[in-house]
Amino acid sequence: MTRTHPMPEDFRAEARRWLSGVAAHRGPQGQEWGSGDDSVAVFENWTEDEERARTEHIRAWERTRYDQGWGALGWPGEYGGRDLPAHYEQLYRAEEAAFDVPRRTEVFPVTQQLVAPAIRVWGTEEQKRRWLRPMLRTDELACQLFSETEAGSDLAAVRTRAVRDADGDGWVLRGHKVWTSGARVATWGVAVCRTDPDMPKHAGITVFLVRMDAPGVTVRPIRQMTGGSSFNEVYLDDVRVPDADRLGPVGEGWRVTLTVLAAERLDSGTLGLDNADRALDLARHLPRPLTGGEQQQAGDLFVRTLVQRLIGLRVTAALVAGREPGAEASVGKLYATATMRATTDLVQQLLGPRLAADTGEWGTFAWTEHLLGAPGYSIAGGSDEIQRNILAERVLGLPKEPKQTEEGAR
Amino acid sequence: MFRLDVDPTLLLETEERRQLREVLREFLAAACGPEELRRQIAGPRGYDQVLWERLAGEIGVHGLALPEEYGGAGYSFGDLAVALEEAGRVLCPAPLLSTVVLAGHALLGSGDRRACERWLPGIAAGTLTATVAGFLHDAHVAAERGPDGWLLRGTADFVPDGQGAGLILVAARAPDGPRLFACEPEAGDCDRTARRVLDPTRRQALVRFRGAQAEPVGDAGQAPAIVEAVRDAGRTALAAEQLGGCAHALDAVLEYVSHRTQFGRPIGSFQAIKHRLADLLVETEAARSASGYAVACLAERTAGSLPVAASAAAVVCATAYRRAVAEYVQLHGGIGFTWEHPAHLYVRRARADEALFGTADGHRVRLAGLLGLAGRPDSGPRPAPAGRAGEVVDRSLTEPENLSELSSVQLRPFEGEV
Repeated sequence: MTRTHPMPEDFRAEARRWLSGVAAHRGPQGQEWGSGDDSVAVFENWTEDEERARTEHIRAWERTRYDQGWGALGWPGEYGGRDLPAHYEQLYRAEEAAFDVPRRTEVFPVTQQLVAPAIRVWGTEEQKRRWLRPMLRTDELACQLFSETEAGSDLAAVRTRAVRDADGDGWVLRGHKVWTSGARVATWGVAVCRTDPDMPKHAGITVFLVRMDAPGVTVRPIRQMTGGSSFNEVYLDDVRVPDADRLGPVGEGWRVTLTVLAAERLDSGTLGLDNADRALDLARHLPRPLTGGEQQQAGDLFVRTLVQRLIGLRVTAALVAGREPGAEASVGKLYATATMRATTDLVQQLLGPRLAADTGEWGTFAWTEHLLGAPGYSIAGGSDEIQRNILAERVLGLPKEPKQTEEGAR
Repeated sequence: MFRLDVDPTLLLETEERRQLREVLREFLAAACGPEELRRQIAGPRGYDQVLWERLAGEIGVHGLALPEEYGGAGYSFGDLAVALEEAGRVLCPAPLLSTVVLAGHALLGSGDRRACERWLPGIAAGTLTATVAGFLHDAHVAAERGPDGWLLRGTADFVPDGQGAGLILVAARAPDGPRLFACEPEAGDCDRTARRVLDPTRRQALVRFRGAQAEPVGDAGQAPAIVEAVRDAGRTALAAEQLGGCAHALDAVLEYVSHRTQFGRPIGSFQAIKHRLADLLVETEAARSASGYAVACLAERTAGSLPVAASAAAVVCATAYRRAVAEYVQLHGGIGFTWEHPAHLYVRRARADEALFGTADGHRVRLAGLLGLAGRPDSGPRPAPAGRAGEVVDRSLTEPENLSELSSVQLRPFEGEV
């Protein structure tokens, strides 16, 4: 190694010291059982004003982190970082979990962990200068304009068109994107577009960063099965995008997209753990003894939370040791979505009618938000079925589905 | 309440252990391959004496985790776990679990120096096989003072590798309470009947003590704690074996579905097969995580609570193994259902294992007890406590002294991951 990094233990101690100065400790259990916020929403349901207010609150914290050297840990100094290996971010997060800091909504990790690294890989020097600092500091947030109604798991089937404008120094985008979180607060949308319909499916795609306040961009909330709205559909009606905002070469957009998707899959290690812990607390505090069967179910959910954390630690340990993590790095999301279902099942069993009708009691009917929200994570960010394909083909090395002779097959 | 704060590096295989694994895999592939395994389990002893001696002598498996003062190498349980995993991979029928883990931990756990000095060097050297009786299942063995020392009378069933063991550590009822005894069984005062077994790679015996001479090990009153500690060590060891079995099944199935062609394509290219193997991979990685954590807790007391870790590993590894062996047969189709194919030996091992140290459901209930996941018994009407309800709980988990012992174990408060 050409440079020395702080020892992990020293780093964690330093993080603790810094956090103690800027944030309050969480209580031993976060809060007393039976009081405080009992929300277990998987997807927040905010009005636009609420979403803006929450975003500003989180943004203030992220700016503090960034400005005081605890933000872009893995990034070079020129982007305000410390150039530390990737796992220092996890070490920091482990310490931060003990402090009362704003919980980041999805658009923040999308900006910092998915979009910014893709810009680092694919952006021009000018783009990196222009975009990375504001994104890492969250002055400018970025959302994903990926899925379309006809391009979900088969993302390469996107039909949003980008064509050169008349004078040739820009592009005109037209299409309809769906399932975008954070569209109302983002400065940029990362749009996966088709620039050449005559090329085979995975060629002919190009990625652009679209200003979300550009003329022709319309954001409409999607009401999801929880009853609330956390996602949006985004209409692009002849939106002009300068060529300077194209990310990566023309026709190479699929590879740019894969860079983002790969980061997304690895970013799901702690998914659902908060609510699983909360369900176990419910089992502890339920005002009646659990039956043997219920104890089995609770014991099993505990085991799942333990294993999910252990899988995360194994990934960290591999990174700390400078090794490439193995299969453990890829099984996390599938494991997590099953844990979310198991959480629902335990709570259903423990609450009985109080989950079906609101008695006004603390920490009971609120679980309907989890019950109705959890299925979303088996679909978003690569469905459970796509995760299985990835495990089977990329980790286990099983043969791919035979290609259809007709063009357009994967 | 529970807090996971294990040092992540304890979950990572060290370079030394990777090398040990390589050596063992090569050694066992040659000395305990599928044909060789069948030859060994058909023999009178059920395992190969030469293999046993070479494991102890050439590789030093038996003494890996035993202290140097008793003839061991003084390494940690983490090293032994590598050997157990590799042994589980090939279903090695040598009595490692009973001799090295169960009997070894019973002797070490007693703190009885004299007993350790007398028997552990033989275990380390591979010259003594040993097992435990009255630890895993109900047994009715009474100890009484005879004119020339203690005598054991009574019956212990399902004693693993009990027929040939040169030493049996017995949890017996002495006049002043439960106590451990060491018995070197002689034909005249101890009848041993081999049971017909589901899993021919791990034999079991009914042992009848008929005034068998025995020596007390450790102090009176220690026995319940030793028994529980031995069980948790056994669960941890078994989890490592099961992980090895899962990994073998996954490898074998992968190999088969990649080459077996039907409908003009390898069956592994069908999504119906792929998704099942993806799920098996997830379970195997879960097993690797849970086993690794239990091993770390057994090797390093500071890593976490062994009872919690051992029961969690028991749940995860038994469940994963059950699935792995089912897929092992199913995804091999007809050939997997034949006597000649090794798959059924793994089915036998996986299912017989589940009867050793308590079922997965029994462990889930134990965890609920350890972690307070039981609601508030003081409010409202009280149904029979779980564990007495009977239908789901393995007896080995519900003997009163064990649960009361365990629920007093102090667990650290939970504060999130890492």
